[in-house]
Amino acid sequence: MTLAAGTINGTTVPSWPEVALSVLLVLAAAAVILRTRLGMTRELVVAVVRAAVQLLAVGALLGLIFDHAGVPGSLAWIAAMVLVAGRVAGGRGRGLPRSMYVATAAVAAGVLTTLGTLVAVGTVSTKPTVLLPIGGMIVNGAMQGTSLVLARLRDEVTDGRRAVEARLALGLPAGQAFAPHERRAMRAALIAPIDQTKVVGLISLPGAMTGLIIAGVSPTLAIRYQIVVMYMLLGAWAVGSLVATRLMRTTLFDEAHRLRPLESLRSVA
Amino acid sequence: MPPLFAFEGVTVTRGVGDAHVHPLSGVTTSVRAGVCTVVVGPSGAGKSTFLRLFNRFEDPSSGSVTFHGNPLPSYDVLDLRRRIGLLQQQPVLLGATVREDITTAVPELDDAAATALLERVGLGPEFLPRDTSSLSGGEAQRVCLARALSVSPEVLLADEPTSALDEFASATVERTLRGLVDDGLTTVLVTHDLRQAHRLADDLVVVVSGTVVAAGPAEQVFASADDDRARAFLAGAS
Repeated sequence: MTLAAGTINGTTVPSWPEVALSVLLVLAAAAVILRTRLGMTRELVVAVVRAAVQLLAVGALLGLIFDHAGVPGSLAWIAAMVLVAGRVAGGRGRGLPRSMYVATAAVAAGVLTTLGTLVAVGTVSTKPTVLLPIGGMIVNGAMQGTSLVLARLRDEVTDGRRAVEARLALGLPAGQAFAPHERRAMRAALIAPIDQTKVVGLISLPGAMTGLIIAGVSPTLAIRYQIVVMYMLLGAWAVGSLVATRLMRTTLFDEAHRLRPLESLRSVA
Repeated sequence: MPPLFAFEGVTVTRGVGDAHVHPLSGVTTSVRAGVCTVVVGPSGAGKSTFLRLFNRFEDPSSGSVTFHGNPLPSYDVLDLRRRIGLLQQQPVLLGATVREDITTAVPELDDAAATALLERVGLGPEFLPRDTSSLSGGEAQRVCLARALSVSPEVLLADEPTSALDEFASATVERTLRGLVDDGLTTVLVTHDLRQAHRLADDLVVVVSGTVVAAGPAEQVFASADDDRARAFLAGAS
């Protein structure tokens, strides 16, 4: 590790002292938080330190994987990311039955489908330096879709329980009784990535494209990657939320087409 | 004549270990066909849990419930729920318009049949295209009733169907329910309102602390319930 600024492909990379200067921005944010008594100073400091430690560790680990572990190491790393993403997304559905299992399976399905397709058709190469960063972005997209849909499904089950039971009481099967709630949850989960896709490049330059441009790639070439990234994120997001919704339906209802009594909803006297 | 429903030693347990509770415990009673059976009891007595056993929204932890002499689990549960309709405590509308709402379970229902359903609950044909968001509480509850009747149930369960309504709307819904019973629809109604029980009940079931403490023809139970807890409830709440 060198302290000095360097140049890669004609692009200047900041030195460590220059990176440390960016802490000034955090101090400014901390000052605002202290002054407005938001009570979040500790949270901010933890987040900043944690981000630095995580990125240092990840940078070192990625170097090791790229140099020594190859494709198997990259895939193992992606699998580990799926497990962490499943835990995070499952937490959004806390209270729903087996939410961790459902979230992990949904994120995995989003990643397998999207990354698998991109690799299969040759859009994404299997070089670890490509596979791993792209895999990470896909895991993130699938996680966000899964998180949003689980959070919304939990609200639907809590607030819409009487409507679900009204449909079940008419002799409708669980799938039909829950379908309007699933549609609402899916719509809520998909609004953000669709909006993001609509305005890409107009209100901000997205990450992949920015990275390539900074690295000296021409913008007209960089957008090709960005188009792939946007579409794959949308795909991972949609597959993750769809699989989470379908799996959650099977855990929410029992074989007698009854909504399972969630802990927080056991109020029938 | 054998009872339409027979409950034999029914206990419902929720939770596990030290945290478990029994909303119902050792319930043995029956419900006759073609009459209005009213279930009364104090808040938290287990009345709603009792009602949820009829259409298998809950199953007993022990004991059995029979319908036409056969155990409830022997019926296809979806078919059973079409035969045993439910009117919930608060009106829950499922469609944007009245037509859409009452055809939720029977999308092929034509306007003539839908209008006939509305008439059964005392609403005119002009309600059919109405937005459900424009309905009053009483109208909404009667639309829910029409929706419950759309699958031609032979039994109607009603869980405190007037408790969320004002006095006038309550009286309208009550009259509608009485009319349906007089037309032969077996009805099991849960209420905490003893005056309503007086007006509607052919048979009365008194539930206190998760147990049926009195049951039988309403006049008889009101006049001379054997059990002290039943007498105390019927006297204290009236």
